Amino acid sequence: MEVYEHDRSNTMIKSVSSLRSLAPVLIVLLLLALVPLFSPSNRFLSLAISAGINIIALYGLSVLFGQTGILSMGHAALVGVGAYTAALLARDFDIGFWVSIPVAGIMAAIVAAIIGIPSLRVSGHHFVIMTFAFGQLLTIILTNGGDFTGAASGLDMGKPVTMFGADLDALPRFYLLVVAFVTVSAVASWAIIHSSYGRTLRAIRENEKLAAALGIDVGRHKIGAFIVSGVFAGVSGVLLAYFLRHISPGQFASFPSIYLALMVMIGGARLLLGPLAGGILVSFLPEVLNLDPVQSRILYGACLIAVILFLPNGVIAGIADGWTWLVRMSKRRPAAGNVSEVGR
Amino acid sequence: MDILLQQILNGLSIASVITLIAVGVTLIFGLTGIINFAHGEFLMVGSIVTWLAVSNGIAFPLALILGVLAVALMGFVLERAIFRFTLERPTNGFIVSLGLIVVLQHVVILFWNANQKSIPRPLTTVWEIGGVRIASVRVMVILMTIAVVAMTYVMITRSRYGRALRASVEDRDTAALMGIPVRRYITGVFVLGSALAGLGGGLLIALFPITPFTGGTMVMKGFAVALIGGLGNLSGAVAAGLILGIVEGLSAGYGFSEWTDAYSFGLMILVLLFRPHGLFGGTSGPKMA
Repeated sequence: MEVYEHDRSNTMIKSVSSLRSLAPVLIVLLLLALVPLFSPSNRFLSLAISAGINIIALYGLSVLFGQTGILSMGHAALVGVGAYTAALLARDFDIGFWVSIPVAGIMAAIVAAIIGIPSLRVSGHHFVIMTFAFGQLLTIILTNGGDFTGAASGLDMGKPVTMFGADLDALPRFYLLVVAFVTVSAVASWAIIHSSYGRTLRAIRENEKLAAALGIDVGRHKIGAFIVSGVFAGVSGVLLAYFLRHISPGQFASFPSIYLALMVMIGGARLLLGPLAGGILVSFLPEVLNLDPVQSRILYGACLIAVILFLPNGVIAGIADGWTWLVRMSKRRPAAGNVSEVGR
Repeated sequence: MDILLQQILNGLSIASVITLIAVGVTLIFGLTGIINFAHGEFLMVGSIVTWLAVSNGIAFPLALILGVLAVALMGFVLERAIFRFTLERPTNGFIVSLGLIVVLQHVVILFWNANQKSIPRPLTTVWEIGGVRIASVRVMVILMTIAVVAMTYVMITRSRYGRALRASVEDRDTAALMGIPVRRYITGVFVLGSALAGLGGGLLIALFPITPFTGGTMVMKGFAVALIGGLGNLSGAVAAGLILGIVEGLSAGYGFSEWTDAYSFGLMILVLLFRPHGLFGGTSGPKMA
């Protein structure tokens, strides 16, 4: 969809082509897993948990947007599919957390396919508008679903999360559970990026017609990427339902989708650290700056505009570029002649 | 039969506001390629300015003009400061407009809270003809919309500015070589579309109370209508706006009001799938290099 400057995308592909790109993410997650040792406040933990749940969905969005170059404005709706699947399974079939995870992933994948197969027939920005419309439509359906979906007031989640008979509902334990899921989705996303499948997706992103000419079934791979992003969203929805204990249609309407897109943009969709950085920044910045919700939303919006205009590859890539530039400048000063080799 | 006529009339006045948005969207999206989802928030700002002016004792017609001017000015500033940098990458422009939605909504909430806002009806006369109650304020909205859309139509299709504009949609580079200041036309279309949104906002608050979140649903309908009618196609937008407004009016009148918002989305999805250039044919956006 968007072709960035060629040299930049080349360096990016090179820099992610090894295990090195996974290491910083794993280190960060390991450090985050140690947080409960410092007995943080409940408020901190619940913020961190909702950030983590968003990050899982963001990893799906980064496969779709960062790798394939298609943007979905209905991602929160797929999170909603996961959340409602978990709530309905718990209410009607007495099925718990661990079975809900795969079922919700599959359900979200199916809905993603239902949305994706027709939507991806149209190209570029029309697709974005389509996903937006489908997201809104899903909210309307959930609101009008009567007793089955609990209408506008939504559904309650009655079941606890247990593992080997231990109750995981206490905040520190639930936090660790979320960190574990974030780790799994980061590794899954890393594996996708580094597989030949990921390379195919990037080929589509860089030049759709060329990819098609090379024999890549562009349409099928785009739908595939959309379905993969749906699985991430579904899993994150289950965690959300079990964390919040109550879900309603408004949580999955178009604005949550905008916030998810914002997080992935701010963090940068192409790097493995991007979703992690975006999710954490957007969740904690208002807390750090001590803003009320209205002010923080104005800040989000302004950040989104600034990031798109000035750092189209996200904050992390922006920092990395700035760092490379600094290094290059400092090396240039002593030996002004030989600079063409510097840089990644 | 009376109920049917009544609902068609009510539908027409809603259709008017939707048409005003859709005409703005169809001009901006269809002729400049800028996908401005914050168009609904432009409308909401138009409502808020009108509301502020009326609550400060300014007469409604003057308040309406103030609203239009304020939104046109806002459109000018935003196009010059933000959207012109996204012309080469429409998707970036779209994402920026999503950021604008959030900013505009919450700036309004910050200063004037999130509650419903309404003004006293500028015209209170209600005519009753054969059991059908015709509120004069609705007639005013319909007539103003007809006049403004007709003026826009003549401007785009008949004047030499309109011809230059359509030439620059067809081929930006050649148009620029012919001495058409393409960038200035893009700004002009954006400001015109914004002014129409401001007018729609001023008229909307004369009909219904609004909230800072009104723009969200209205812009989806505007985009739906613009896409159904065919991008850049003014008469298409008017026809599609009428269809949607009347369908919504009828379904609300016969007890399916909870589904009204679904029609526009459903219809838009179907049209995009089977007639991607709209029911009445359109430009599908300017040709990008």
